[in-house]
Amino acid sequence: MKRTLPAILFLGFGLFVMTKPILAHHSEAAEYDPTKPVKVTGTIKTVEWRNPHVWFYVDVKDENGKITTWGFSTSPPGMLLRRGITKDVFKIGAVVNVEGSRARDGSNNATGRKVTFADGRNVIAAPSE
Amino acid sequence: MQKRFVFSAIFAALSLAIAMKSSAQDISRLPDGKPDFSGIWSSPTTVNPKGPRGQGIFNADKMGQVKPGAESLLYEMRTGDARHDEPRAVCMPSGFPSGMLYALPVQIVQTSKYIVIVHELQRATRIIPLDGRPHRQGLEPSYYGDSIGHWEGDTLVIDSTNFKRWILDDYHYTDPTKSRWHSDALHTIEYLKREGNTISYRITIDDPKIFTAPWSQDFKMTLHPDWDEPGLLEYACEDNNRCANGHCTESEAQK
Repeated sequence: MKRTLPAILFLGFGLFVMTKPILAHHSEAAEYDPTKPVKVTGTIKTVEWRNPHVWFYVDVKDENGKITTWGFSTSPPGMLLRRGITKDVFKIGAVVNVEGSRARDGSNNATGRKVTFADGRNVIAAPSE
Repeated sequence: MQKRFVFSAIFAALSLAIAMKSSAQDISRLPDGKPDFSGIWSSPTTVNPKGPRGQGIFNADKMGQVKPGAESLLYEMRTGDARHDEPRAVCMPSGFPSGMLYALPVQIVQTSKYIVIVHELQRATRIIPLDGRPHRQGLEPSYYGDSIGHWEGDTLVIDSTNFKRWILDDYHYTDPTKSRWHSDALHTIEYLKREGNTISYRITIDDPKIFTAPWSQDFKMTLHPDWDEPGLLEYACEDNNRCANGHCTESEAQK
């Protein structure tokens, strides 16, 4: 995995359709499709450590050097805190591998289920309800 | 034979007395002798606060029988408008009982006159008088209803009425095609009994427009002294609400 860092990895499908998300961002089942797994590796661009849900954004570079920003919705700050996950964990620029389920609307949003840092640390970040 | 019976009876009575005394001493109490529910507790459906959480839903298999024709009152099909399908997503109140089932903790503040249940979720606050007053009359139905409490021995009983029709629980997370609702005739009774560092939490759902009879389900809440620091967090839902008017917009970070 390390050899691919800090780049790439769009697994599965090759959709690049940019459509605006039109529905609620809370609903795990309604908004995110568990049959469309997302697994990307990139660098954390920005973090919205706010209610009702923490969002973090990951810049992912493809083979041609094109950068796509993926948005991952996760739990409220309080829920993360009680799992021992603080804002400091999500450092801007950190290289992460994120697994989740893609938004049903085809946008580059997803629910972030599992975050793995370059040092191998795993963080359970989801579900995002 | 009779002598043995007497000894057995005395032994049983002593055992019971010791058990009752032991039980009475097991839990923290207020100066008025009532069980002390103060503290920060995991919500009734929380399975593991350090990992993936439990679903904030009632067990459909343990619900009562639905009245003929009332299925459409219990389940509503998804419309695509978050204000209807999942009001909490647009920062509308979760309401009761759904807010109680959600996996964020509650803090209970207790005096001899009131039990106050503060939810971290949306910082909703239920102020429940214990002075024997009746339900308030003439109020508009509300998301959290009107609650009054009383003691039955060591059990705190909370009776709530005057709800507006609203989402019952988080069923829509398990089935994206529909959501589960209660009617405006909802009446709930909660039974809270402290057992060591847990609360045995029973809720009775009495919704005569939907169910043929009241039904109850049991949950457990766990005291978390380790959560006293930092305490309940602020929950300003509007802070990052991207779903106003039923539709969501993308983040600045993606524009």
